[in-house]
Amino acid sequence: MKRVIFVTQLLIISMLAVSVLAQDATELMKKSHLAYYYAANDGLAEVNMTLIDKNGKERIRTFTMLRLDITDGGEQNYYTYFKKPSDVSRLTFMVHKSPDSNDKRWIYVPAVDLVKPISADDKNSSFVGSDFSYEDVSGRHWSEDNHTLKVDGTLDEKPVYIIESIPKEAYKGFSRKVTYLDKKTLLPLKEEYFDAKDNNIRNFTALKIEEINGNPTITIRSMENLKKHSKTIVEFTSIKYDIGITKDIFTERYLKNPPRNYIK
Amino acid sequence: MLKLFKKIIFVFLVLPFWQINIANAELRIDGFVQGLFGANVNDNNPTYSDFTASETRLQVRMENFGDRSEFFSRLDFVYDGVDREEYAWELREAYLKLKIGEKIDLKAGRQILTWGTGDLIFINDVFSKDYRSFFIGRDDQYLKAPQNALRLEYYNNLGSFTFVISPTFESNRLPRGDRLSYYQPGVGIVGIELGEMYYFHPPLPEKKIENTEIAFRFQKQTGNFKSALYFYRGFYKNPLGYDPVRLVPIFPKINIYGASARGSIWGGVLWMETGYLDSREDKDGSNPLMPNSSVKGLFGFEKQIATDFTANFQWQFDYMLDYDIFEEQQESGIYYRDEIRHLFTSRLTKLIKSETVKLSGFIFYSPSEEDLYFRFSTDYKYTDEISLSFGGNIFAGKQINSEFGQFQLNDNLYLKMTYGF
Repeated sequence: MKRVIFVTQLLIISMLAVSVLAQDATELMKKSHLAYYYAANDGLAEVNMTLIDKNGKERIRTFTMLRLDITDGGEQNYYTYFKKPSDVSRLTFMVHKSPDSNDKRWIYVPAVDLVKPISADDKNSSFVGSDFSYEDVSGRHWSEDNHTLKVDGTLDEKPVYIIESIPKEAYKGFSRKVTYLDKKTLLPLKEEYFDAKDNNIRNFTALKIEEINGNPTITIRSMENLKKHSKTIVEFTSIKYDIGITKDIFTERYLKNPPRNYIK
Repeated sequence: MLKLFKKIIFVFLVLPFWQINIANAELRIDGFVQGLFGANVNDNNPTYSDFTASETRLQVRMENFGDRSEFFSRLDFVYDGVDREEYAWELREAYLKLKIGEKIDLKAGRQILTWGTGDLIFINDVFSKDYRSFFIGRDDQYLKAPQNALRLEYYNNLGSFTFVISPTFESNRLPRGDRLSYYQPGVGIVGIELGEMYYFHPPLPEKKIENTEIAFRFQKQTGNFKSALYFYRGFYKNPLGYDPVRLVPIFPKINIYGASARGSIWGGVLWMETGYLDSREDKDGSNPLMPNSSVKGLFGFEKQIATDFTANFQWQFDYMLDYDIFEEQQESGIYYRDEIRHLFTSRLTKLIKSETVKLSGFIFYSPSEEDLYFRFSTDYKYTDEISLSFGGNIFAGKQINSEFGQFQLNDNLYLKMTYGF
């Protein structure tokens, strides 16, 4: 009898321990998500994306990006104004992101004065042909995965939490993800994505972190696709936070008429 | 003509600098150089040339802006090697955009205008189209022809109100026989093999104030859907009427009253649109030389059905009013349309090789007219600057005088190279 009670107690304690660890991990991933995708209330940046294919051929995308958080960790609006290459210059793109339902996306093609909503079923599809998906750009909500704190460690001499995430529902983006969270800023220094066969398919790396208006920000990041042997490097410059971007910017009016006080 | 030319050049050259003064911003220039070569695949097409295109095009875009105003121009220079062997230029856009107060946006000048929901089919989009470009493989942007207009948009809590005024009428640009053949009543499918006899050049409505084109739209977001009401007063964009005195096709007067809705649903985008086309010169359908009034409607749905693979489907109907009278007016032995004309369309787009290659196809098929138009293209972005395209336009029809059937001798293939800067 004693033995049974002991085993039960042990079980309960270990389950509690696991759940505490999971809670810690979930809490860490939530904080990280907020630090990474929801820094300040709004933001503006010039973005330079370099797409490198397996032969080393480079393609460049440059654009201005505006972001406004409606609720922290919740709804968020994005506005993108493309500058290069020439065939997409002046094209604008807008996303109303909502973690509970499908994002809403619109595109405006100035050469034909066309506003078009685009079906946004697949968060996994590539963002402008790069190795980043739409989800990588706007963030996968922490509540969609189960997180476990594996171990504390260091990455390039920085102390990190190493967290494993497994999607709650089968997901084609990855079956397992390992995140190396910087203990100081809680920003991801590295993410390794694995497929169903546990092959490492993609790696995210934060190449440079700077503090901007008190917000630690990843200013250079890369995503490597190990299956396609391609890589995308993204550099953020002229970053500004809390500049007072209003909700009306993310409407058809400004999609057609870029807000020139922000977009030069 | 020279005077007008000088005037336009003046506006094109001087406006940007004037803008610099008020805007204090830099002038940006970009554009592209493009070669387009296309040929007819039918030997018996009665057009002037077997080539549908042999042109080199330079498009220069200039832009200048301040916080509240913006100047933009798009100028095309073309060397056309098919029928004229000469240089041509077109000011496709040159406008000034101003923000007046907090609620009004004004866009004045030569501009491309678009509204409505259809994908390559139009009910309330009354702005001129260029089918001469569309049918021979020029870029999609050339389907829309520019017009001189003033666009005023007013925003308030109810929604947005848009007024477009075009002082002079801009017609659709239709095949006219030189490089694309068409149907001429009483003759058949014609080109200009007999000199310029069948060169299609209907006279435009007189340049009078009462002939000003007026278009209006009210638009509002309701839940997931954006709904709109439209009104247009002007002329049919195709010359569907006939002047018995001058013996030429003419552009009859029309009013259009319409509505549309479009939004995200079922993991895709759904749209619908309707319009009542009030033929002002043939209210009761009794005039055989003028088009009858009609009611048009369309439904469409688009969805991403696999990674980087999007498909859409549309159904459009065109219901002619006073059809019994129309039927009585028709000559026996010549095909004429049904009371309800159905049109189905579908677009498929697949992106491969990290979006550097785009495969696309678009089909128009009308079971009522028993005709179809199929366009396809493969676009390869070799680098950020250089792209190559190969494509074609295929027409088929049981009748030689149906909407697409009349173009059945115009099947063509083309090759296009573009360098963007």
